[in-house]
Amino acid sequence: MVFLLVSAFIGVILFEVPSLIRNKHWRELIVFSIFLSIAFVMALLATIGVKLPSPAKGVDYFVEDILHLNYQ
Amino acid sequence: MKLEKGEISSSQLMLLVGSFLQGGLLSLSFAYAISRQDTWLAVLAALFIGLLFALVYIALANRFPGKTLMQINDLIFGPFLGKLVSIQYLYLFISSLSVYLWFIGDFVLTYLMPETPIILIMIMFSLLCAYAVRQGIEVIARICFIAIIVTSLVILITFALLIKDMKYTYFLPIFEVPIGELIQSTHIIMHVSFSEVLVFLMVIPYMNKPKQTKKSVLLGMLIGGLGLLTATIRNIAALGPLSAIVTSPSLESVRLIDIGKVITRLEVLVAMAQILLLFIITSVLYYAVVLGIAQITKLRSYKPLVLPIGIFAITLSLISYESSMQLRYSTRYITPIFTVWFYFILPLLSLLVAKLRKLPK
Repeated sequence: MVFLLVSAFIGVILFEVPSLIRNKHWRELIVFSIFLSIAFVMALLATIGVKLPSPAKGVDYFVEDILHLNYQ
Repeated sequence: MKLEKGEISSSQLMLLVGSFLQGGLLSLSFAYAISRQDTWLAVLAALFIGLLFALVYIALANRFPGKTLMQINDLIFGPFLGKLVSIQYLYLFISSLSVYLWFIGDFVLTYLMPETPIILIMIMFSLLCAYAVRQGIEVIARICFIAIIVTSLVILITFALLIKDMKYTYFLPIFEVPIGELIQSTHIIMHVSFSEVLVFLMVIPYMNKPKQTKKSVLLGMLIGGLGLLTATIRNIAALGPLSAIVTSPSLESVRLIDIGKVITRLEVLVAMAQILLLFIITSVLYYAVVLGIAQITKLRSYKPLVLPIGIFAITLSLISYESSMQLRYSTRYITPIFTVWFYFILPLLSLLVAKLRKLPK
């Protein structure tokens, strides 16, 4: 599973990066690598079985238990 | 400096809005359990309130012609506070994107391919969307013509074939549902379909005739709303009290069609049409997220961001939701209240601040 994930990310890098370097789009390269590394860390943690906190449940908790606003 | 080179015409914008709204047909199933036989009234009310709020969004777009939502925020609130507001909108768009990815995976899993892992469906679907987004808004807008004709035909044909099974007494008693639940149901329908017209503030600047924005957006909303209304009336008249119980009333009502044991099991037609529309919704949201991030960070091209954001959205939807009951509960009772801030308060606030500051100078 981890091998598949890493090869998928290497595929994305090989697909995007060469044309960025050829055109000297350094700013694009920086933003691309920041988002790709965030996505890689999240996908890797989810793949090896670490329980990440769910943002949707966080929003539910915030609205329901802190603001006490819900239909019921 | 323009990030998007393509242009769309006013009729293409109209069809895009229409198919975007008609794609909410499957998500309307969240509202049936709340306002049972009066759901069609809730759809009608949501259409009128949605048209009212679309006027606010269009006023915002007409005040700053040629600027997208992120650039408008920068102009209204200044560079620093504007970025803060833009990040809130981006959060809204990316969370709706992940909800739609989960929704399509769950739908295909439940009705069409029960043994497939959900992540595989999401990956195949978002690869298709990533290809469409890389080609630009012009390509997404062109497919809408086919999509809206196919889905309108499916709705009309299934309506006609179901007429002999319909009982109009199922609509009675009207207004029996308490007014609070009717308001809640209207709010849910606004949340899942009509308010999301906000995302078109990222698309409207690329229209070639800015003067016709109002007409085409409002007409598109009417087309989508009428499609939703027809389908809701079909579902309630065919299913009756059952429509509050089943998971997806649109599919279950079409399953009743049985003409001489030859024309049966037509629900796969509805599923195909709705998947086509969900593809358009997901592509537009995906496009808005990618374009918004590219404009906040001042890039020259948004294309390199498409694949990382897609992977991010898939992972977000996988960690956010565990079961369809969780999505159902939070869409019925919690998320509509949370998104009031984004859909109603922030745009009104932006328009007010723009009026007070007498922008644009």
